[in-house]
Amino acid sequence: MKKFSLGKIVCQIFLIVWLLLCLFPLYWLFCFSLKDTQEIFNGNLIGLPTQWLFSNYANAWGEGGKISLFLMNSVIDTVATLFITSLFGFMCAYGLLRMRWKGQKLVMTYIMMGMMIPMHAALYPLTEVLLPLMKTHWALIIPYAAFNIPITILILSGFITNIPYEMEEAACIDGSGIYRTAFTIILPMMIPAISTAAIFVFLQVWNELLLASVFSSGSVRTLTVGIQQMSGQYQTDYGSMGAALVIATLPTLVLYMCMSGQVQKSLIAGAVKG
Amino acid sequence: MKRVLSNKWSIAVFVLPTVLFFTYIVIIPIFKSFYYSLLSEIPAKVGDESTFVWFKNYIKMFTPGRRNAFPGAVLNSMTYAALSIFVQLPFSLLIALILANGVKGESMYRNIYFIPVVISSVVISLLWQRIYKDLVPAIYDGLGLALPKNGFLGNKDTKLMAVFLPSLWQFVGYHMLLMYGALKSIPSDVIEAATVDGASATRMAFSIQIPMIKPMLKVCLSFSLIGSFKLFDTPWILLERSNMQLPALSMYVEMFSNHKYSYASAQAMFIVFECLAFTALLNLLFRERDDRDLTKGRGRKAA
Repeated sequence: MKKFSLGKIVCQIFLIVWLLLCLFPLYWLFCFSLKDTQEIFNGNLIGLPTQWLFSNYANAWGEGGKISLFLMNSVIDTVATLFITSLFGFMCAYGLLRMRWKGQKLVMTYIMMGMMIPMHAALYPLTEVLLPLMKTHWALIIPYAAFNIPITILILSGFITNIPYEMEEAACIDGSGIYRTAFTIILPMMIPAISTAAIFVFLQVWNELLLASVFSSGSVRTLTVGIQQMSGQYQTDYGSMGAALVIATLPTLVLYMCMSGQVQKSLIAGAVKG
Repeated sequence: MKRVLSNKWSIAVFVLPTVLFFTYIVIIPIFKSFYYSLLSEIPAKVGDESTFVWFKNYIKMFTPGRRNAFPGAVLNSMTYAALSIFVQLPFSLLIALILANGVKGESMYRNIYFIPVVISSVVISLLWQRIYKDLVPAIYDGLGLALPKNGFLGNKDTKLMAVFLPSLWQFVGYHMLLMYGALKSIPSDVIEAATVDGASATRMAFSIQIPMIKPMLKVCLSFSLIGSFKLFDTPWILLERSNMQLPALSMYVEMFSNHKYSYASAQAMFIVFECLAFTALLNLLFRERDDRDLTKGRGRKAA
């Protein structure tokens, strides 16, 4: 019995060490976002800032850094992508999995195939397709939506097949058409599944770099591309860079803190995407 | 009712827009990529002549030579994959097992370990860049140790490790959560029966828990493998485009810096084939295991 509790103590120590290792870089980021370069070079690497320089945030946000612009762009791209994947994903899942026709399985397999293919493969041909849309938000929204539709459908499929067919039957008897049934009866029941998929897609899109670095430039740059470029300009201004990183992270972090259970569920559901 | 649900017109309204959109943006470009990868190196613009050279680009990709870095890049991605599989996954599994067996603060640990997963790898890479450039030298100074030549990010021998560590830090939480969820869904009577039979924690882990979460381990394995082959964000930022050789980076440079579209397309297709091949391999490996277990009569009864 005593040996058992010793094991427990070892486990706890191990867990706490990893916990600290997990949190330390974040604590460090927060601290250096409030320091100036002088302080960092004078040896105060790890400690709390002596003066809390919120001006770093103002600097990153406004004139110098333009983080506010990048943030806005990321919000626009993400919201539009989510709207498209949710609406089209739901409609397609409904047609594919609840209606009855030949070739359902074939079409489902066809769409799921898209999930296994990395975006890299389509990169160059996409530049041709999206050329007319360059410098607009659509150049990113369209590929983001298209590449995230398969996982959305997959996540929805688990839920949509569990809804009893009595729903449609009752609606049909009451004289409701198929579109009204789908959008006013089934859609509301699917909200939990749609939000599970949406959270997954949100994290994918918000954090994406490869496509963004090709398709977003100038005034439509997203956060990931924006802060990456800022890091080049701000070599000497660590504080503002740190502030920019904090601002870029806050939306996902706040989402996670408010609904950690939901976020974890979404990422478990999306894990098959790889 | 049946007629309503198999009305061709409404099926088309529901399914067709998505299928067409998906085909146009995802499927056709992939086939186009494959087609370009078979062309000679004249920019594939309208009006320009390109000749069909079959697999010449693929052969060029793997022809050994001092200036051809692609084989090395593939090797690097394989090393990286091995690191993920043999370091990251066992570590995540260990944490998942400890947490799933019940400790004080179980859910707090789980929630905090998961935080890095939701942060953008761009942010994480920039953050770790600062760690490598400011914090690590300071620590080494303090301990009186010598840094490797050019620092961890500049040194040829430590580069790959330096890229791996931030990803380890970021994704342990993800794998841990996946495994933890699977462990928690093992029926409690199985665990109880083993406890009654006097199984130690180690025995329980190796004989019951790990075999029972094999499907999830497969998901984690393919996640690690495909993630390693596609790896782009972290090395791209962490090494400031200094030529760390990895397939996705090489592809990007050939495509957008050197404008060798056909050659880059061949590299992109290679990444796709690599991912598909390893996915198939994993499926094969795990199917065999399952069959063998069943013939021995130790297969999962509930599943």
